[in-house]
Amino acid sequence: MDMVVVNNLVKSFPTPTGVDKRAVDGLSFRVSAGQIYGLLGPNGAGKTTTLRMLSGLMSATSGSAAIAGHDVTAEPMEVKRSLGFLTANTGLYLRLTARETLAYFGQLCGLDPEQARRRGEELIAELSLSDFADLRCGALSTGQRQRVNIARALVADPPVLIMDEPTLGLDVLSNRHMLAHIRRARDNGKTIILSTHYLDEAEAMCDQIGLLHEGRFVAEGDLQTLRELSGEERLSNIFLKLIHADEAVGAEPQ
Amino acid sequence: MSYSRRIWTIYSKELIDILRDRRTLIAMIVVPIVLYPLLMLGSIQAVSFQGARLSRSSFTIGVIDDQHRVRLANMISNDAAVLDVLRDRLDPDSEEAKALPTPITAAKTREAFGSLAELERALQNREITVGVIFKDDRLIGLPNYDQQVPVDIYADVEDVRSAHAASRIEALIGRVNEQMRAGRLAREQLPPTFFQPFKVDVVDLSSPPSILGQILPLILILMTITGAIYPAIDLTAGERERGTLESLMVCPVPVIDLVVGKFLVVTTVAIMGATLNLASVTATVYAGGFDQIMAKTGGAIPVGTLLLILLCLIPFAVLMSAIMIAVCSYARTFKEAQNYVTPVILAVLIPGGIAALPTTRLDGIMLVMPVGNMVLLARDLLMGAVVPLWILAMVLISTLLYAGTAVVVAATVFGQESVVFADSGSLKSVFRRSLIKPVQFPSLSMGLLVVALLFPTWFFVQSIFSPGPGEDATGLLYRTGYLMPILFVLIPMALLAYWKTDIAESLALRLPSPRYLIAGVLVGVSAWIPTHELNFLQAAIVGVPETVSKSAAIMGETIKALPPWTAIVLIALVPAVCEELLFRGFFLSSLSVTGRKWVAVGISATVFGVFHFLIFRFAVTTAMGVLLGYLCWQSRSIVPGMIAHLLHNTLGVVATVKPTLFEHIGIATNGDAGHLPMMVIVVGVAVLLVALALMRRPESTQSRILVYA
Repeated sequence: MDMVVVNNLVKSFPTPTGVDKRAVDGLSFRVSAGQIYGLLGPNGAGKTTTLRMLSGLMSATSGSAAIAGHDVTAEPMEVKRSLGFLTANTGLYLRLTARETLAYFGQLCGLDPEQARRRGEELIAELSLSDFADLRCGALSTGQRQRVNIARALVADPPVLIMDEPTLGLDVLSNRHMLAHIRRARDNGKTIILSTHYLDEAEAMCDQIGLLHEGRFVAEGDLQTLRELSGEERLSNIFLKLIHADEAVGAEPQ
Repeated sequence: MSYSRRIWTIYSKELIDILRDRRTLIAMIVVPIVLYPLLMLGSIQAVSFQGARLSRSSFTIGVIDDQHRVRLANMISNDAAVLDVLRDRLDPDSEEAKALPTPITAAKTREAFGSLAELERALQNREITVGVIFKDDRLIGLPNYDQQVPVDIYADVEDVRSAHAASRIEALIGRVNEQMRAGRLAREQLPPTFFQPFKVDVVDLSSPPSILGQILPLILILMTITGAIYPAIDLTAGERERGTLESLMVCPVPVIDLVVGKFLVVTTVAIMGATLNLASVTATVYAGGFDQIMAKTGGAIPVGTLLLILLCLIPFAVLMSAIMIAVCSYARTFKEAQNYVTPVILAVLIPGGIAALPTTRLDGIMLVMPVGNMVLLARDLLMGAVVPLWILAMVLISTLLYAGTAVVVAATVFGQESVVFADSGSLKSVFRRSLIKPVQFPSLSMGLLVVALLFPTWFFVQSIFSPGPGEDATGLLYRTGYLMPILFVLIPMALLAYWKTDIAESLALRLPSPRYLIAGVLVGVSAWIPTHELNFLQAAIVGVPETVSKSAAIMGETIKALPPWTAIVLIALVPAVCEELLFRGFFLSSLSVTGRKWVAVGISATVFGVFHFLIFRFAVTTAMGVLLGYLCWQSRSIVPGMIAHLLHNTLGVVATVKPTLFEHIGIATNGDAGHLPMMVIVVGVAVLLVALALMRRPESTQSRILVYA
């Protein structure tokens, strides 16, 4: 079953020149349940804008998207109930502890206080947060904060996770942790859309990949398809080849 | 999750969050606890220090005759000697000793000026502090009993030192007078009261907290605003700046709930801050012994008054918090929010300042002036004035209307993607027409905003054109007749057009099904019967204020004097068209986004009632508003309501102009109308029930639009 269906999605922003800029230009893709879909591309390719439209934070200029069968425009509350959202620069309430944060978001997502507390405990155990669960978030390291953040995104146990550059700014160890958590979530049956510009990471993680450049897909499919399409082995080379930039920057030595 | 539990979840989290912030605690607790004692001690000491310094300070006296100079010097030294003797006799700690005047010890008398003009010039150049002119040379010897020597004291009263010197010389001459009089009376063996047939004591009857009553409301208003600013910025712009807004916005919670929760927290903090400030002022006053000082100038603050001030502060805190939340919701960063807040504070202080002027009174436009009306109400209550219930209601209702509007505007702005994400275009895009997407109905915030702005405007129109003594209401009727279409129809329509709102849909410009037309006619001819009874019931319970019956009588005379068709146009046609378009068209359709029929109809009817500015007519107009709102909602058309409104008001005009028509069925149409005959009531209620039955089934959504915009 397709948990995410995106159909000809467009977002244009006004610019001072009066000519609107199309940040996302007619994107269509589907993600089946239990898969990790990688939305890849350089900075400014339109990844973040796409993910914001999927989560209902931004309205689409045209086109449609559905999460777990709910249309993003028509049923925004249902969509929000079906997804967890995480970005690299998602902040935490610095004056709340991790435990309080989880309880708060649990309740916002519709759990009663007792359920929210129990769900918080589960996540603290699952993501090994207990060492710092009672510290205020302001006192945590970047890696610890990002772990609390992923727990926050999982608090309502949503079927779909949207992660925008979740590993940005993490050290090697925290990065490992984060990727392990994402894999575990997938193994638990979550559908995940992951955006990143670390192509090696994507190569290791994603079941399906959409290569985004200037608001459009230059290619889409699993890694094998992309390799066949481009005749290149590594994802970074595939990408450069497909956007015809390899000549400009010079092919990477094999 | 239930609505109240969701709001509670947001509220309690935000409150914990904000109270854990050191900056909030400093602003809310440390500042008042430390600042007020310091401020109060400082200013009172500065004042008494200034006084002490002035009384010790030296000054120069100018005269125009050297003999006068000698005489004055003698007076000063004699006075000092007498005062010294008196002081020695008294216990230095006694009240009497403290009350003794300070002798002039440090005054120099300058060489005599040649003329009065020279003395005046010297005074203007500050070469001398004060000038003393004895107008009669006979004072060189002791004046006789029948002689009086005029003395002019020249001073520049705008110069504190000069004014002070002048008052001390005046006091000195008073004491010299007193001594001479006492001496003469003693010589003549007359009692000391001989020349004093009357003894004057001023008994101060001004209500105790007069000075406090003038200043305290303004101080407290500033405190409350200060309390609201920081949390408002922190919970809106701060949330955005720290990157927590995205995760909040992807939660399945309506934005309005988030904003309401935050608004309640800001209100709580503002009220807590104001309470602490008030407590700190009170503690400083009593602990510092300043209550005695204040008792001299105006009196201490009784506990009951303090509670009264606090009660007045609550609606004000509600309004300020709502405004602050709305303003800060536009900002993306803390800094930006601070920039927005400054002009708002100024804008609030202007009506607050006007209200704090002693001559301003709580009437006319001030009744509905945001902030100003609260300041005046607080002042009047503090002064112990009896505030009529309708004024209290007016102030509270208008304040709540403004606050509600601000909260809804905040909710609209808070979720705007151009505000949430800095990279999705500037704020201007909110207002750039080419970017506005066409919508069917006006938004709730737009509806409330227009009504909140029209409310004081309309009140102002009504009060400036209201008939003066001896005038009839013709001017009022004509002017409101011109202004109502502009304010109630053209302005809302222009806004609808700008925001690409479907005007025909918004104003329900639809051809109604025949059954609603019949219902409208039936409501129009029968609604006056229950409203008449409702009026009668109300009059029996609360009575009819004299002003109401008087203005009703003036209106009646005016209507009789007008040509009948003119009266019908001004009283029935114009209001029927304009009020229906505004309240049942524009406002009701903006409320329809709530999706709840009775909430929408109820709010629009209440506001319709409030717009008539008379608490006495509130019940009747609101009931009418419910009926007309329901008619419009069910029929999805403005027309039946207009017909009902037109017929209803026309019957009112007919009853005034041709009372004989109604007297046939036993209805007195003069001021003290009694019950209607039972038969009439039965028929009226039956007709109304038929009308309600006709509108029971809502019109299908496929009905035809009357006008294509």
